[in-house]
Amino acid sequence: MREYELIAGLETHIELSTKTKIFCSCTTAFGGEPNTHCCPICIGLPGTLPKLNRQAVRYGILAGLATNCKINPVSKMDRKNYVYPDLPKAYQVSQYDKPLCSDGYILLDSGRKIRLTRIHIEEDAGKLVHERGNSFVDYNRGGIPLIEIVTEPDFRSVDEVREYVEKLQLLMKYIGVSDCKMQEGSLRCDVNISVRPKGSLALGTRTEIKNMNSFAFMEQALEYEFERQVDLLESGEPVVQETLRYNDMTGETESMRSKEDAHDYRYFKEPDLVTICTSPEEIEQLRALLPELPDRKKARYLSMGIHEGGAAALIRSRKVAEFFDEAAKGLQTPQLAAAFIVGQMFSRYSTATQRDEWETPVTPSRLHELCVMVESGRCNRGLAKTTFEKMMDTGKGATAFLSADDLAEIDNNQLKKICQEVLAENVSAVQSYLGGKETALKALVGAVMRKTRGRANAAKAEQLLVDSLKKG
Amino acid sequence: MTGMIEKLNSLLQKKKISCIELTQAYLNGIARDNGVLNAYVRVTEERALETAAVVDHKLAAGQILSPLEGIPMTLKDNISTRGVETTCCSKILQGYTPIYDASVWQTLKRQNAVLLGKTNMDEFAMGSSCETSCYGGAVNPFDIDCVAGGSSGGGAAAVAGNLAAYALGSDTGGSIRQPAGFCGLVGLKPTYGTVSRFGLIAYASSLDQIGPLCKSVADAALVFDAISCQDPMDSTSIGQKEPTWPQLTQKPEKLIIGIVKEYFKGVNPQIEKALQNAVHTYEKMGAEIVKLSMPAVSYALPVYYILACAEASSNLGRYDGIRYGYRTKHYNSVYEMICKTRSEGFGPEVQRRILLGSYVLSAGYYDAYYKKAQNLRGAVVQGFDEAFSRCDVILAPTVPATAFPKGFAAQDQVQTYQTDVCTVPVNIAGIPALSMPCGYDKKGLPIGMQLIANRFEEAKLLQIAYQFEQATDGEFYRKTKWGCCQYA
Amino acid sequence: MITEEEILEIAVLSKLYVPEEQLEQLTKDMAEILAFADTINTAGAQVEVYEGLDGLSNVFREDEVEQSYPIQEILQNVGGGENGYFPVHKSR
Repeated sequence: MREYELIAGLETHIELSTKTKIFCSCTTAFGGEPNTHCCPICIGLPGTLPKLNRQAVRYGILAGLATNCKINPVSKMDRKNYVYPDLPKAYQVSQYDKPLCSDGYILLDSGRKIRLTRIHIEEDAGKLVHERGNSFVDYNRGGIPLIEIVTEPDFRSVDEVREYVEKLQLLMKYIGVSDCKMQEGSLRCDVNISVRPKGSLALGTRTEIKNMNSFAFMEQALEYEFERQVDLLESGEPVVQETLRYNDMTGETESMRSKEDAHDYRYFKEPDLVTICTSPEEIEQLRALLPELPDRKKARYLSMGIHEGGAAALIRSRKVAEFFDEAAKGLQTPQLAAAFIVGQMFSRYSTATQRDEWETPVTPSRLHELCVMVESGRCNRGLAKTTFEKMMDTGKGATAFLSADDLAEIDNNQLKKICQEVLAENVSAVQSYLGGKETALKALVGAVMRKTRGRANAAKAEQLLVDSLKKG
Repeated sequence: MTGMIEKLNSLLQKKKISCIELTQAYLNGIARDNGVLNAYVRVTEERALETAAVVDHKLAAGQILSPLEGIPMTLKDNISTRGVETTCCSKILQGYTPIYDASVWQTLKRQNAVLLGKTNMDEFAMGSSCETSCYGGAVNPFDIDCVAGGSSGGGAAAVAGNLAAYALGSDTGGSIRQPAGFCGLVGLKPTYGTVSRFGLIAYASSLDQIGPLCKSVADAALVFDAISCQDPMDSTSIGQKEPTWPQLTQKPEKLIIGIVKEYFKGVNPQIEKALQNAVHTYEKMGAEIVKLSMPAVSYALPVYYILACAEASSNLGRYDGIRYGYRTKHYNSVYEMICKTRSEGFGPEVQRRILLGSYVLSAGYYDAYYKKAQNLRGAVVQGFDEAFSRCDVILAPTVPATAFPKGFAAQDQVQTYQTDVCTVPVNIAGIPALSMPCGYDKKGLPIGMQLIANRFEEAKLLQIAYQFEQATDGEFYRKTKWGCCQYA
Repeated sequence: MITEEEILEIAVLSKLYVPEEQLEQLTKDMAEILAFADTINTAGAQVEVYEGLDGLSNVFREDEVEQSYPIQEILQNVGGGENGYFPVHKSR
């Protein structure tokens, strides 16, 4: 049995988070009763003309800049002609041979480069709804601006596909061009997949799996299709080039092709729109708007001493990362700030949405203040933790909950005295420890911490207790 | 300088006639004669009288009217009018009522233009005789056995038949100028981009322009000034360089008229004679005549049909019965519904042009036809640029023949396409051109002279046209017997 | 010379039916029209691809929401539609 490798390329459609549609001023707001976000232009009434949304073009360019693309100085819109009830003009205004961006890439963590052939802008179609054999159309989503990002067939595993989509999602969210919610349809993937025997250089015949709207389905579909193609080749049958849909009920891919799907789109330049010219100055102006991107942030966090897991968790939401950046500014141990965020804040704000929105009463400066207190030793970790909980509850600063006394460090003499008290008050624990039970020491340290209301330095207390116990 | 619109405006302002009376006179004419002329496909009597009442109210209050205020006019039935059925004279748009106004209509409505109704046209503006209309063709007020021309035949018949003071038509390959030529009117196709296309139901997007059909050059200037502007709803809209009416009577110091020999090939001798006379008239005014050659003219026609049909095949893809218009009654699938709706709803000429358009855009033929035609388009533009470096205006026939008899056009498509030879290059180059009467043939049918200028030179073009009108004392404007309005 | 098969293929693309009895005549008509279109091949001179008149570029609209049209008007030309939708196909 020969071994086969998977070759895949992706076409991802991402809804841009502009306020209005690409060619008219109707709102892009999600939801809404059918056909209530429409106007003569987006339902394609005879005589209407498109007017290109400047923000959509800007967002397209930002997406290109964030993915290392070349921004084409001259770009144009084209008509892609095909008939379907959800497409009111019977053509989609898209870009054919002069897209907005080309030749970019996304780096996977393994160092593999996924090359992006192009990024172009286009309009979305409406929604065809089927019900008991009848079909209906809602044009609310018709005209929503999309970018389409096309990769070269550079993927060699399903995991790589998943990682790419996650990175792409995160990038687009970071630069603010889309909320990339797969379940809501603001990010859709079509995958081209072929297989070939390992070591072979020729590309096999590929099939296209369209419109997978969840990570799980995407992985299942790819795995199924890989096996299916391998089985075909193993039994000497050819793979037929076709468009497939993933049926999540049966777990199989099935053909979408129908006679009516003639694929001659008869592209030609959209005569109702003019060319898009982007100057080098404009490109630089837009580049300056880019925030620090996730991969660069993560590298910086690692170099700051944040561990891998923490860094990865922090960058997953731009707001969280920027919150951390501000709180950690100037700290000697930025890991502290990370720990508060990842350790405590994430328990409280546990969903992706909560972390994306990051609506917390705590301000970065207050967290910074607390970290400084811990760093300087004025407040120990334990006390800081409990205080932070209160800070998250109320939004008040640490000093609201810590008195001067709390923050005053217990001097060694005081500590010694308290240790003696604890030893005297906890005879059974002392006996246990002397009897060989090491864990009894923890109980004694705990008692010291309680007596000092958390102000004592736990490590020091432990040392003093041990010394005393040794002496007898 | 008094054109008809100015005359009517003065009558209204001086209260010699009320706007209601004026409007009613036109409506009476329509009621009496439209059955024969078939200029109107829809009469908007109520609206017209309502607007007229508003104008009379203003007059009673002593207000000054703007130049087009209260003037009864019509719109070609491919110009969207909110609340008024707009069909492009096609079965597939029967019952379609737009929910928005075309930008040009919005502009005129604000000025209280009195809309008498929508006029007849070739279906989707595809034709040269008005006979592909689902309502039957409009006939020529000079001879009702002949066509009014196309595709704005209805507008031409209305104005020449004294059933409207002016009409707005559209011109993609000659559709304003040719009917103007056939019906003895002034028809102006403005520079591409000077008049908004928003609301004009598209035939060929890179060629279509809206323009006036009227009874004098001054009228054309007034209407052009009113409707040309940079419209934010139309991305290809630029607007006009300067208003034309205030400078209409200016005489250009030096006038060089170009005669392009390719335009005179195969032209009817009576037409050639009339044009020669026109040239003499200009010479007597002191104009210099230069002979030019523009080889690009000879392939402009096939270039036009390739590009126009390509764009049309795309523009007409949306007619499927789902959102408006005609829908077939019996079908078993969406696909069948769409195909049957279109095959039943579109006339044969429209279907032929859609097929041709799809063909020249299809994979395998795109390079040989569409791409090549685009390249040649550039050559046509260059040809005109060169010509205008040597002359101010080109004088040519509008059509190589006078109005065809009814039924002639349907006999031979390609031969009919050939009659567009003089008008089509203008649309390809996006430059302005005007047709005005310069004679009559032995049958009494009007002969049209076409004047062509460079982009955005409407002011110069209209001045030169006006000079001819003055020099000939308006002798070539003949009034037909139709209509009931004594002032028309 | 365009064939009847090609006409039928183009008809599918254009979403038009060509009834059997009309196919022959239509093919003849189209062939004539195409022969006419073919005359562009007699033209010698070629220019670079025509980009559009006057080199207009960068005509944009600002991203500001405006009121959409009321649903009654949107569905006006289909008799009000059905439950707010445009009916496409109703099985009998």
